[in-house]
Amino acid sequence: MKTFGIVCSLIMLCGLFSCKHKEGEYHSLKEKIEEESKHYADPGISSEAYIGDINTIEITEGEHTFLIPERKSQIKSFACTECHSKPLEQMQNEPGEQKAHWDIKMNHANANAMNCATCHNGNDMDNLHSLTGNTIDFNQSYQLCAQCHNNQVEDWKGGAHGKNIGGWAKPRAAFTCVNCHNPHEPQIASKWPARFNTEKVKERK
Amino acid sequence: MGDKKKWFQLDLGLNKKQPNAGTCGCGKTSGGCGSHAAEPPKTGHAISSAEFDAAVEQELTQETMVGQTRKDGFQQVFDVKMDRRSAFRKLTASLLVGAGAVHTSCSVTAGEETKEKAQLDWEEQFKGNYKLMTEEEKQATVDRLVRSYQLRKKENIKMTATDASKDVLFGYAFNISKCQGYMDCVSACVKENNQDRNSEMQYIRIHEMKDGEGFKFNEADDNYYHEVPAEGHFYMGTQCFHCDNPPCVEVCPVEATWREEDGLVVIDYDWCIGCRYCMAACPYDGRRFNWSKPEVPEEEVNKNQHYLGNRLRKKGVMEKCTFCVQRSRSGKDPACVEACPTGARIFGNLLDPDSTIRWVLENKQVFRLKEDLGTEPKFWYFMD
Amino acid sequence: METVRAFRSMVKDSLGYITHGSKTYHIWMIFLTVIMLIGMYCYSIQLDEGLSVTGMNDRVSWGLYISNFTFLVGVAAAAVMLVMPTYVLKDIDFKQAVLIGEGLAVAALVMCLAFVVADMGGPSVLWHMIPGIGVFNFPNSMLAWDVIVLNGYLFINITIPLYILFRHYQGKEAKSKIYVPGSILSVLWAVGIHLVTAFLYEGLQARPFWNNALLGPRFLASAFAAGPALIILVLAAIRKFSEFKIENKTISKIAMIVTVAAQINLIMLVSELFKEFYAPTHHSESAYYLFFGLEGKTALLPWIWTAIPLNILATVLLTFHKLRNNFKVLYFCCFILFVAIWIEKGFGLIVPGFIPGPYGKIAEYTPTWIEIWVTLGIWAMGAFVFTMLAKTSIGIELGKLRYKKKKVLESETA
Repeated sequence: MKTFGIVCSLIMLCGLFSCKHKEGEYHSLKEKIEEESKHYADPGISSEAYIGDINTIEITEGEHTFLIPERKSQIKSFACTECHSKPLEQMQNEPGEQKAHWDIKMNHANANAMNCATCHNGNDMDNLHSLTGNTIDFNQSYQLCAQCHNNQVEDWKGGAHGKNIGGWAKPRAAFTCVNCHNPHEPQIASKWPARFNTEKVKERK
Repeated sequence: MGDKKKWFQLDLGLNKKQPNAGTCGCGKTSGGCGSHAAEPPKTGHAISSAEFDAAVEQELTQETMVGQTRKDGFQQVFDVKMDRRSAFRKLTASLLVGAGAVHTSCSVTAGEETKEKAQLDWEEQFKGNYKLMTEEEKQATVDRLVRSYQLRKKENIKMTATDASKDVLFGYAFNISKCQGYMDCVSACVKENNQDRNSEMQYIRIHEMKDGEGFKFNEADDNYYHEVPAEGHFYMGTQCFHCDNPPCVEVCPVEATWREEDGLVVIDYDWCIGCRYCMAACPYDGRRFNWSKPEVPEEEVNKNQHYLGNRLRKKGVMEKCTFCVQRSRSGKDPACVEACPTGARIFGNLLDPDSTIRWVLENKQVFRLKEDLGTEPKFWYFMD
Repeated sequence: METVRAFRSMVKDSLGYITHGSKTYHIWMIFLTVIMLIGMYCYSIQLDEGLSVTGMNDRVSWGLYISNFTFLVGVAAAAVMLVMPTYVLKDIDFKQAVLIGEGLAVAALVMCLAFVVADMGGPSVLWHMIPGIGVFNFPNSMLAWDVIVLNGYLFINITIPLYILFRHYQGKEAKSKIYVPGSILSVLWAVGIHLVTAFLYEGLQARPFWNNALLGPRFLASAFAAGPALIILVLAAIRKFSEFKIENKTISKIAMIVTVAAQINLIMLVSELFKEFYAPTHHSESAYYLFFGLEGKTALLPWIWTAIPLNILATVLLTFHKLRNNFKVLYFCCFILFVAIWIEKGFGLIVPGFIPGPYGKIAEYTPTWIEIWVTLGIWAMGAFVFTMLAKTSIGIELGKLRYKKKKVLESETA
């Protein structure tokens, strides 16, 4: 009887004090996030300093406005027209003219779907062009990618694809497509892992 | 507190041992010294503060001889001088009681640095739980740790005690279809968080799983070494999930681990008694224990530290991922997020409706591990 | 004042009494001291190097120390099986046994606390657990509960026998009005310490092997088998080595307790095995590992397959009155039952809880020599403490130790 008594009182004590959901207010984390973000005020943390000396431009896509790196100043010997002074066909046929871009290998889709002219305009080398022939600025090259990789670009706009520059705080700055993917060979190469844990092997032998 | 910081940044510790001796040793004036307020009165403390005052007086005489070079420093020393009388009374009293020999700093022959080290160690040993400290006490312990490192290694570190901000709740998302198993995150994490190199402690595990077999953790390999991504495999990373209802926090007998306001589950390494109950309670293998003294080569030590984050640990305490509290609280991404070459890792503020993490949670098919346990991890997985 | 003087005299007398004895007694004590010293030396290595000198790691983070701790809590709790009938039901049979039982409880608790301290990563900051100075995560952490109940139980088990012995030392009868409430409390408390220790494991949703409602009751059943079994063995030894008279009837009654508890324990074991192996889920992997090994890792098989047959054999033998009443068989049964439960509740309970790990990884656990010696040292310490306590109480009970002064004062204190 007494044993029973202590067991009961112990259990009741546990119940009284250590109710695990003592926050109580919300039923789940999701609910809590929704509720607490209703009165969200900017915490005043900025990651601007961590963007460093990357030049950025602001873009607005749908409901998302964020910064991406400026591209043109990063391209060696831009503007392209400094060399590409005449249309491509003429340059290619010109005797004695220096060969350039010889090391560019195309490994992007297949030859049926893509070639240089899918993106580059032989008559306007300072800009890119869309499938329908509209001019696209080098700084906004993601628009070009969006023509086929629409899902990825949607994810990128929302933040599910790609990487932040700086940090999680405002202002939002994200790398654009070509910062990670070489447009001519967009596949990220395979490599060896950065680490191997020899202790773990010992532990599990 | 501001004063103290300013004073501390003078950073004369390496050239002039004395001036700093009292300064960071005990959080300056007796009123502001954190640990004194936190502890119940102890004889040891009376001696410590008295001795500290004695040291300050010595310094004072030296200083008057050299001339007053540092105005602001002198003013602070002057404040101390004011209550030195009472301190001396305490000293006499405790000597009479005969408790004078409690620690090496009592030795007259010991060098000033040794004394100061002993003094710092003493105060560190008997400080309170960080969670319950006031702002001043937090700053005082941080100052002591920095000074202690300076004395031991002759190197300066920067340690912060930044608190959680309002309207921030950190969350993390992991894209299973993006991760390629490069383990750059693991590497970056080890470097950033000063993890023990000898035991190769790692917070992050990347599990290599076979396509088409679902999540079979027991068949997955989390210590592969071959070219990745391997054909027919996908990769899934695990680490501390910073549960919103963390079982590890519930079980800790001394409240050495707790959930911060911004959702981070942190540990006060100095309060932990090393019982490893939290380790047994964690369903996600999120916690690590220092089975021996952790060692990091001096040149590899990350000197940008946070009290609750990557400061150097000692043997016999728990540690774990803190979402790089030293980085995240100042707006940076955790080291793993920054290092990931594939963008599989997404980090942000769950309370900000415009944050990328919120977009992922609202627009992707997300799930968490072992959701049925009711731990509410703030770490989601999703696929493209 | 008189009381204080009597107490001082008792301490002095018992100190004298425990330092003198037969040759066997001295050899026994020296033997224990040597083991304790080796244990202390090993512990100093562990303090210096850290817990890396043990076989534990991030996978299996509790090992031999916590196994022994868990088992000994049971031994300590078992003392009540004797206390209850003696003090409360006035069953005279147990009167002699009960002091021994409580002495055993004290020794077991001292060992428990020593094992917990040995397992800590930072013994120098254990003051963080002292309420008032430290921070105590009281209602939430089961370990905090455990610290409270263990120390409380230790206190009760020291004070009650101390009071009785002190009265007897002065040549007076112990007043039942004083010790009976204490005894009742200690009975309740004993169940408490064991349940709380079970809850320590039971409350972890991360470890399905422990997160099992049967764990608490099974702890109690196995404790009430192993504890009294040890008491029987100890009583047998005392009967042999001292003049203290213990009647056959007493031992037979305790044997009855052991039998019933062992039977209940066996039923629960069957129930557990049924649940794990009839409809196995991935939560049964730990049990698979324990009984059959997983992925070629079979370190625990020899242990558990020793424990189970011993357990069954002992229970079956004890069930037959004829066999049980043959003391040679009884002692043998008690011994194998004790060993079986030590394995089952120590190694067999703690280690598989960690295997496989939360993500199915298997790292096996083998204790190192340092760990083993520290463990032996703590057991030796327990035996040492118990021998001293038992010798004193036997001395007082036999009337060898008596307060020399005039007994006239009796009336005054009464």
